[in-house]
Amino acid sequence: MKTLILGLGNDFIADDGAGVEAARLLEGELRGLDDVEVMECALSGAALLDILIDYDRVILIDAVKTGQVKPGTISELWLEDLGEVIAPSPHYAGLPELLALARQLELNFPREFVIFAVETEDPYTIGGAMTEPVRAALPEVVSVVLKRLALWRTAQPCAV
Amino acid sequence: MSRTIHIDPITRLEGHGKIDIFLNDAGDVDRAYFQVPELRGFEKFAEGRACEDMPQITSRICGVCPMAHHMAAAKALDDLYKVDPPAPAKKLRELIYNIFTVEDHALHFYFLGGPDFVVGPGAPKAERNILGVIGKVGLEVGKQVIAARKELRELINRMCGKVIHPVFGLPGGVSKPMKKEEQQLFIDAADRAVEFGKFSLKVFDDIVLANSQYVDWIVSDTYTHKTYYMGLVDENNKVNFYDGKLRVVKPDGSEYVKFNPGDYLDHVAEHVEPWSYIKFCYLKNVGWKGFEDGEQSGVYSVAPLARLNASTGMATPLAQEAYEKMFATLGGKPVHHTLANHWARLVELLYAAERMKELANDPEIADPNVRAIPKNKPAEGVGVVEAPRGTLFHHYKTDDRGVMTHANLIVATQNNAARIALSVDKAAKGLIKKGEVNDALLNMVEMAFRAYDPCHGCATHALPGQMPLVVRLHDSGMNVVSEVKRN
Repeated sequence: MKTLILGLGNDFIADDGAGVEAARLLEGELRGLDDVEVMECALSGAALLDILIDYDRVILIDAVKTGQVKPGTISELWLEDLGEVIAPSPHYAGLPELLALARQLELNFPREFVIFAVETEDPYTIGGAMTEPVRAALPEVVSVVLKRLALWRTAQPCAV
Repeated sequence: MSRTIHIDPITRLEGHGKIDIFLNDAGDVDRAYFQVPELRGFEKFAEGRACEDMPQITSRICGVCPMAHHMAAAKALDDLYKVDPPAPAKKLRELIYNIFTVEDHALHFYFLGGPDFVVGPGAPKAERNILGVIGKVGLEVGKQVIAARKELRELINRMCGKVIHPVFGLPGGVSKPMKKEEQQLFIDAADRAVEFGKFSLKVFDDIVLANSQYVDWIVSDTYTHKTYYMGLVDENNKVNFYDGKLRVVKPDGSEYVKFNPGDYLDHVAEHVEPWSYIKFCYLKNVGWKGFEDGEQSGVYSVAPLARLNASTGMATPLAQEAYEKMFATLGGKPVHHTLANHWARLVELLYAAERMKELANDPEIADPNVRAIPKNKPAEGVGVVEAPRGTLFHHYKTDDRGVMTHANLIVATQNNAARIALSVDKAAKGLIKKGEVNDALLNMVEMAFRAYDPCHGCATHALPGQMPLVVRLHDSGMNVVSEVKRN
């Protein structure tokens, strides 16, 4: 049962680095577990498929800007809840599309997939500092990821 | 009452790749604008950093084509230190770069162009995606596309570490040679890549060219602009992605100018518009005459079709055949039909695969002599490559310790920005009449910019694909009068 914790984003771009920073903190916490891999990555869209294939479970941490909640707010989303496939460009190819594609092609896509999305204030400025509300949310991000991981690791292996 | 229509993929970056269409009182299009957001502060960010870090830093500003930035940066460092990499290093760089191009072009054709052409622009939107493409070409083909990309990415990882953060290009060469025992892996993969390239052109033949309606769309006036074209060429004026001189042809196809990449500022200038962050590149010596095509206007284009127009052919035999067929079918050179970019991309995919094969079989490719140590003091350097989406410029200045004092990057989308603006405006005017706006029409407006594969991927991640497209209608006072979600 192999789990991937994937921090997505770019730590050069202010709050966009939230996922990456969280992954780095988690890497320190989780060293020594051979069924868990922590990775950071700035790739987008369809290219993510290559990374996700062959893991059983994925926890993805990403920066988002919905403008609907306060910066620093953490939202928990399950992949199956994300809705239908829409991709006007491969740059935008989203996880639901990758899931549908993997199913259609019978690829070994993770069976459980949760996303923790951190609302950003400034995801635009290259070289900009992470804003205070986002930085302050990082310990909470680490905590919710560890909780989810603990649930998975103590529970029965998911049905094959 | 005049109206404004936005075609706005609500991505994690608000305003991302947005199209604004302004209707007049009759419901016809007054003007349409295509906008991309600009990531701020790159120049400032680069200042004060060691120039050797630029291949890593710049490869991380774009999640879509890190390798193009990495390679342009490595070449800019060569020029900065005035150091010439040994032949095996140049060949290795070009090999890796062509592998990347095969992989990226395949992704684009099947994921992006495919929905418009393999499935068809008039198809229901639920089918206009990679799943619809696979439905049409078959599961086996889908598996082949995924497997081919995976193999190519693994080869890149082998030489560069992770594709995401390549550690490969250094001033004067590359970080490590290819091992003799690895060479066969590259040779075998190249053979498969050539077959894949041939096969993809056949898919295009069978599905797109066999459908006269698709061909009518490609050649329709709505998607046609007679502009200048730019691309890197080798000493025989054949397409080259990694190195060469920049050749520009006029709208009639004759050579306008050929120059060394280091002299780009003598030939390329940037125009600023109040409504867009993006700077619109134009040919300096022709001049900015507004968003117009024709020989009097400095608007030019890059990307696959432009590269084929700006060259006299392909340097490999099968790609040359495909090149000749494309121009013969579309009425000779140059081709001005934007949608022909999809076909040109497949011609280039086959070239990249054939070039990969030549280089993988080159006896020098596994030679350990891959680095010339820089000895000169750095000052200023320019590196240019053909990114999958078009010409990419990196220009650095440093102090004599190699600390960055200035950086200028011109990405493909900037080179193409003026022509993309032309395309979107013309498509909107041609397709939207008397206030009639529907999903198929909006998709056909979007097709006008999708053909260029404009890269605003610097900050798109995993979630956007779930987000709907939204059309917002505004009255002349810019108030939202209705909002239609396209899902």
